[in-house]
Amino acid sequence: MAFQNRNKFCYFKENGIHDIDYKEVKLLRRFVNDQGKIMPRRVTGTSAKMHRKLVRAIKRSRSIALMPYVERGTE
Amino acid sequence: MRYYETIYIVDPNLENLVLDKTMDEISKELEKTESKLINHRIWGKKRLAYQIDKQKYGTYVLLQFEEGNQEKMIDFSTWMKLNNSVIRHMTVLLDVKPELYVEESKKEEPVANVSNATVKDDAQLGKKSAEEVDSKPEEAI
Repeated sequence: MAFQNRNKFCYFKENGIHDIDYKEVKLLRRFVNDQGKIMPRRVTGTSAKMHRKLVRAIKRSRSIALMPYVERGTE
Repeated sequence: MRYYETIYIVDPNLENLVLDKTMDEISKELEKTESKLINHRIWGKKRLAYQIDKQKYGTYVLLQFEEGNQEKMIDFSTWMKLNNSVIRHMTVLLDVKPELYVEESKKEEPVANVSNATVKDDAQLGKKSAEEVDSKPEEAI
């Protein structure tokens, strides 16, 4: 019952964002845990469509060293 | 028409003149692909998320252009790879036509700064007067 009350919403739909730029690291950081792993859709509540775009953006920014592939967790 | 964006990382320790030279070289190389250059600007010096070639920092440069000869783009990519001053590069297809990056606000500031600097040099003896002069143009802007 508890999870029925949880408010899950797509961050991008809520804010009217249609395209995700790989250069907006601040935004992308929200969807990555402290190890640098992409968080699953069931946790973030992102819509399937935007999650695909999000994943592509994160992977792009990783390849150009804007975001880490792996990061040490809490030190 | 397709629009592309190439982002590349340059050694952060390069002097401004050398950086301008490499940027010129790159835009000349891009011309060979018959593509139209739209924007070519320095995005800024940033900390790399991981070390590349033992570098912790890098200067990011953005290059946006309209598609030219696609077959020659492969040559451009290999040329960038072989270019020693470019640490890493990536080309991405854009969904929309990129807007012309206008440096209006940025252009005005350096000019003002330069004039301020000259004023400072001239009036190093009387710092107070220089400060007064400094504050006035800012208010005017």
